[in-house]
Amino acid sequence: MARNRLLGILVVAAVALATGFLVAGQVRAQLLTPSNQVARYQALVRSVQDLEKANASSRAKIASLRSDIDGLEGAAAQQSATTRALQNEVADLRAHSGLTTIHGPGVLVDLRNGTPAPDVNGQIGYLINYQDMQDVVNLLFASGGEGVSVGGRRITPLSSFSGSAGQIVIDQGPPLTAPVRVLAVGDRNRMFAALEDPSALPDLRDREVRFQISLAVTGVPDVKLPAYDSSLQIPHVSTP
Amino acid sequence: MSAPPRRVSSPRRRPKRALEIWLIALLVALVATVQIRSQAEVERSLVGTDTTTLAFLIDDLHRANDALSAEAADLAQRKAALQTGGSSAADQELSAEANRLRAIEGLVPVHGPGIVVIVDASGLQALDLQDAINNLAAAGAEAIAVNDHRVAMGVAVVQTPNGVSIDGALVLPPWTISVIGDTNRLAEAADLMTQQMHSDRRVRQATYRVEADVVITSIITQRPFVYANP
Repeated sequence: MARNRLLGILVVAAVALATGFLVAGQVRAQLLTPSNQVARYQALVRSVQDLEKANASSRAKIASLRSDIDGLEGAAAQQSATTRALQNEVADLRAHSGLTTIHGPGVLVDLRNGTPAPDVNGQIGYLINYQDMQDVVNLLFASGGEGVSVGGRRITPLSSFSGSAGQIVIDQGPPLTAPVRVLAVGDRNRMFAALEDPSALPDLRDREVRFQISLAVTGVPDVKLPAYDSSLQIPHVSTP
Repeated sequence: MSAPPRRVSSPRRRPKRALEIWLIALLVALVATVQIRSQAEVERSLVGTDTTTLAFLIDDLHRANDALSAEAADLAQRKAALQTGGSSAADQELSAEANRLRAIEGLVPVHGPGIVVIVDASGLQALDLQDAINNLAAAGAEAIAVNDHRVAMGVAVVQTPNGVSIDGALVLPPWTISVIGDTNRLAEAADLMTQQMHSDRRVRQATYRVEADVVITSIITQRPFVYANP
């Protein structure tokens, strides 16, 4: 009986000890804070989603307005040779700026995240980041690319890449995450050779080995690039 | 005398003790469950993006949406002018558009408020210059030139055995990067950039100054499309 009693006391003591540890752990982990964190996080996510919806809506509106303007300019060009000449000139400039769709031979580059692994020098090496995109796009343009789009977003002379971790922000668009497809129209053989060159894109090549990041290049006889659908304003620039 | 009866737990006390133990066990289970579930919820919802990144994202999207709204308003105005003005309005709109696009593509000299960044270093690579140009473009640069060579997305900045070249022309350090755009945003970006450069042992000097009128005279020679079709 005394053994049973002792056993009972020991069980109660063990349970009380476990409770003590758990309560202490809970207090340290701030039981209430996680729920607040979740609520705050969800509010931030909702804000991002709302802003992304507004962003998509504005870009659709811009594309529609540009199409309307093009139609009106076309109608005016029917009535005047001067207008027609100006329209042709602007059409060429718009094509080079990325404001109109283009198609032609080119390459298709698919970039995929690798296998999660510990960070190296504070970098999340297994994720495709904005600098990877910047490097691939620069290489394509330097190797005979005449037009490039990333994740359906056309690159313009003023385009820039930003973002953090695995997010890629291009100009005024919402962030993209890998897998991302890059399309380029231009000298297909040169672009293909440049992307396959083991000495090009050293950082990506290194992470291909270490994190199994994937960079797949395919030559395509006819690639179609979308038109740029965002802002292309230069309010601070004046011409002499 | 008979020995005193050994004290035994009364039948009424046994269920009470058992109840105590069960209550404690229940409490332990409850706390453990709440702890595990709340942590799991946090982990599940925070997958990929932390709150700081989201806050930056919101800031970027606000700015992007403001720019998109301004563009939409400008286009709506141009559309209205074309609808009411006829051929002469079209000529005016097209001329203005051609001038704007020539400036965007770097085909004409430009000037305006901006900054001038000077980087003197040995051993910097094309990637370093590409990063600097991209940082400035992300800060709203509207025109950029490096050592009097006009730069825009699409202009090749490449590494050669002799150094960095822009569109085939060698640009040796020190690099003078002239930028036109919103001076506040550009100065903010240049400040960060030069601070980071100071910790790079290859960099001897990294400074910037804000100027009321940065003049960029260099231009890009446009190459006609060979492969692309409208």
